[in-house]
Amino acid sequence: MSRQVDLLQGTLELLILKAVSLGPLHGYGILLRITQFSGDQLIIQQGSLYPALYRLEASGALATEWAPSENNRRAKFYTLTDLGHRQLALESERWREMSRIIGAILKLTAPTLLPERIG
Amino acid sequence: MIRPLRTRLAILLRSILHRNRLEAEIDDELSFHLEARTADLVHRGLAPREAARQARLEFGATASAKDGMRSAFGLRWLDDTLADLRYAIRLLRKSPGFTTIAVTSLALAIGANTTIFSVANEMLYARLAVPRPRELRILYATGPRPLAVHMTWGSNWDDGGQGHIDSFPFPFYRELQKTSPVEIFGFKDFGNLNVTANGVAQAVPAQFVSGNFYAQMEVRPQLGRPILPSDDNTPGQGAVVVLSDGFWHQAFGASRDVLGQTLNANGHLLTIVGVNPPGFTGAESVQTSPSLFVPLTLLPQLASGFRDDLITSTNFWWVSLMTRIRPGVSAETTATALSTQLHAAFLAAGKPKPDEHIPAVALEDGSRGSAYRSTTEELGRPLHVLLALSGLVLLLACANIANLMLARVSVRRREMSVRLALGASRARILRQVLTESILLSTMGGSLGLLLGYLCRNTLPRLMQSSFSEPDLNIPFHWTIFAFASAVTLLTGLLFGILPAWLGTREEVSASLKETARSTTRRRSAWSSKSIVALQIALSTLLVTSSALFLRTLTNLNRIDPGFHADHLLNFELSPPVARYPGTSSVAIYQRLEQAIASAPGVSGVTVVSPPFLADNMWNNDFDIEGQPPIVYNPDDPGQYPSLMNVGERFFAVTGIPILRGRAFGPQDTATSPAVSVINEATARKFFPHSDPIGRRFKDDEDKDHVKHFRTIVGVCANTLYNSVRTPPGPIHFDLYATQKDFRGATFLVRSQRPVSALVPDLRDIIGRIDPDLPMTNIRTQRQQIDANLHQERLFAILTSSFGLLALLLACVGIYGIMAYTVTQRTNEIGIRLALGARRAQVRSMVLREALTLSILGIAAGLTLVLVLVHLVSTILYGLRPRDPASLTASALLLLAIALLAAWIPAQRASHVEPMKALRHD
Repeated sequence: MSRQVDLLQGTLELLILKAVSLGPLHGYGILLRITQFSGDQLIIQQGSLYPALYRLEASGALATEWAPSENNRRAKFYTLTDLGHRQLALESERWREMSRIIGAILKLTAPTLLPERIG
Repeated sequence: MIRPLRTRLAILLRSILHRNRLEAEIDDELSFHLEARTADLVHRGLAPREAARQARLEFGATASAKDGMRSAFGLRWLDDTLADLRYAIRLLRKSPGFTTIAVTSLALAIGANTTIFSVANEMLYARLAVPRPRELRILYATGPRPLAVHMTWGSNWDDGGQGHIDSFPFPFYRELQKTSPVEIFGFKDFGNLNVTANGVAQAVPAQFVSGNFYAQMEVRPQLGRPILPSDDNTPGQGAVVVLSDGFWHQAFGASRDVLGQTLNANGHLLTIVGVNPPGFTGAESVQTSPSLFVPLTLLPQLASGFRDDLITSTNFWWVSLMTRIRPGVSAETTATALSTQLHAAFLAAGKPKPDEHIPAVALEDGSRGSAYRSTTEELGRPLHVLLALSGLVLLLACANIANLMLARVSVRRREMSVRLALGASRARILRQVLTESILLSTMGGSLGLLLGYLCRNTLPRLMQSSFSEPDLNIPFHWTIFAFASAVTLLTGLLFGILPAWLGTREEVSASLKETARSTTRRRSAWSSKSIVALQIALSTLLVTSSALFLRTLTNLNRIDPGFHADHLLNFELSPPVARYPGTSSVAIYQRLEQAIASAPGVSGVTVVSPPFLADNMWNNDFDIEGQPPIVYNPDDPGQYPSLMNVGERFFAVTGIPILRGRAFGPQDTATSPAVSVINEATARKFFPHSDPIGRRFKDDEDKDHVKHFRTIVGVCANTLYNSVRTPPGPIHFDLYATQKDFRGATFLVRSQRPVSALVPDLRDIIGRIDPDLPMTNIRTQRQQIDANLHQERLFAILTSSFGLLALLLACVGIYGIMAYTVTQRTNEIGIRLALGARRAQVRSMVLREALTLSILGIAAGLTLVLVLVHLVSTILYGLRPRDPASLTASALLLLAIALLAAWIPAQRASHVEPMKALRHD
């Protein structure tokens, strides 16, 4: 197995929204899909997945439905609502912006880091 | 983002309502996850048991995941609150004493304040229930004294050399109405008319109103029509009446067929044309409505014929006037215009005496009714004193709550430290304390609400005399209730949260250590102690005032009225002029007197006017033969002796002893020479050096303005007259048989029979003589005296209960703080005892501390009393405001209570076992 990375704070919900945007999934399916997207490089605390799902459900981003799973067992399926779609777009945009800024900062080399007088 | 909030609430609601299903779903979802994971692992080649173990391991603690899921739905918050609530209830049930005291004092404070503020609000600030009441103005005739006004029927008062009269002669009113730029309307509150409606005779209050009254008041009857100008144009033309909503219900059962029916009022038939809307109270009072509204010009006919020139006389001032000042109209300009017109009308009618002034017109606020001035004069002071006292009770209750909460939090400090140490967050602990405070406050508040709601009509009833009709209805004021509740609840919250907040700020370990080994007096108790001192100070104030009012009441009750007041029934009868004109009114009283005298169980009956101790006064000229007449002095109306018209057997029935001469006898008739009996005070004042018997004086004028002599035949002992508070003064008693016209007098019936048995018999006897003559104001003489003292009694009752409550609260406060200190100082006490202190020393150490606290509080309280007592000095009787006996007694009582309250903790301290105390913790 290649090197694994702990999830950054606050990104779990974004990943859930992304995973569900591709089609209805149950909780375990979401876990598998995120792991699969990341090429098995992201570790997701399985225990914290469900509270995150419930938070999204309570905020109206996810709708739920009980339906038979692939092995015919009753499972709770999550789908993205309109609000969820909007939230996904918004959050993705914010993430890209954030990573661009942080990336830019990290690219800086020593000379540019010289103190600038403030005020 | 409205939708998410709605979704959130919907989800929360759904999860609360279907809590079990939600829990099952959470379980289902998690077990599905674990099974799916296990299956995957098995698929990868693990043994099923090993796979299941691995799946559980990867997932982590299911319990914390479930918790996270619940709190995502907002259920965690709900669960915590419920848990807090359960915990708070358990704590409160564990200390029932604390709970009872906290809740009761809250309830009493909120209830008392809601009640008293509601009543005061209604009495002092309510406005007439008409559209835009603030536009209403009362007209006063006013000017520098002496005014060219000699005969009035209304109220007059002086204010810094300016005379004020609230009424006008009828012709002037008509003149003003004709020429004025604003519409002027008139009315007169008449008192009672004898009314027979639906076969029942009763005395009901009436207001006479001008034809434009309803149009100007902008009030529409709920049934029929109002009184119209056409009813009022020609005197005696419109024999119509509009009923009040209350009387319509009471006498006609709110029947809609009432229109067109007639009722008999003082012997005249009036046709019912309308019914007022509920809430409309006429122009005089905001609180009560007259039962009948009758055209103003009908008054001379219905009035008891004491003047037949009401409509024509230009020197008899009796009509009350009002107007509306519409927006954009200047009140000053209007008043000036009206004054000019009044001046012109006055001069057209005659010339004033050279030194007298013609009054001008002043416009004053009429939105609270024309009786507002006298209401505030009568009730304003008592109500303000009551407001202040109940405010004190509120403050006291707040102090009590604060103290209780402080002590409680201090006791629980250790518990809180433990909880903090075990990882509870500070917010969580504060929330718990808050829940407890809110629970306490809610309990106290709801009890207070109940109390305030039930008592709002009790207080006005206490303020009225016991036998008058309680027709006041004080609306319940939510704003006032909300205010009183908010103050007390906030105190509870503040003093619950503040110590908890401070307490949880400390380092956990410090607090745990400190509580365990506190050795000396704790500085941190100072706040509780100052609150207790404040409580004692407030209690001193309340207890002292109750002592002052109780002494006032006992002083007044101890006064001998000068006649036998027991087993003496009083009631009034008022024969109307229409049926009993002139001297036939005297005859009907004599006839009734004889008839009642023969009733079973009646040992004596007489007639008096005015009755004893009913705040009624009567006097007349008293020109003694051979002496210059008394010069009228407006500053001393008491220079004339008071007058009482009485029946022949008056002295025998009342038991007033005759000191010299003789009482009235059968030889004194309407045709024999007029006689009079004077009391000792009259004899002493007017005949200081001579024997009054046989002397003659002139008093009232007859129809032709001729005064006749009366001969004094006897001197009787002094009695009280109009009020218990007024010491006996000069009175002369004349026989009513010699009157030319006599109405509204009071029967005094002496009988050992109970009132409930006697009254129906009397009613039968009177009904057989005239079924249209109602008995009114039926009361015993004792009830009459009580009614005369009702304000004093109200004060005594309320301040005593306030004082008692204050004592109780102070007692609890002292007990609480001393018990707390003793618990805190158990170690120190143990050490002292171990080092050889005697137990009595320990006890007195604790008592001394309580004593210091109490003396401080009492001193502060007494200082307050000395400063404030002049505010109530006019209400007190028979004692100086700074009455040393009341002050000392109150101080001693408080001191005794304080020591009593401190005794139990002191005793406990002296019984501390040194070994145990040192091992404590």
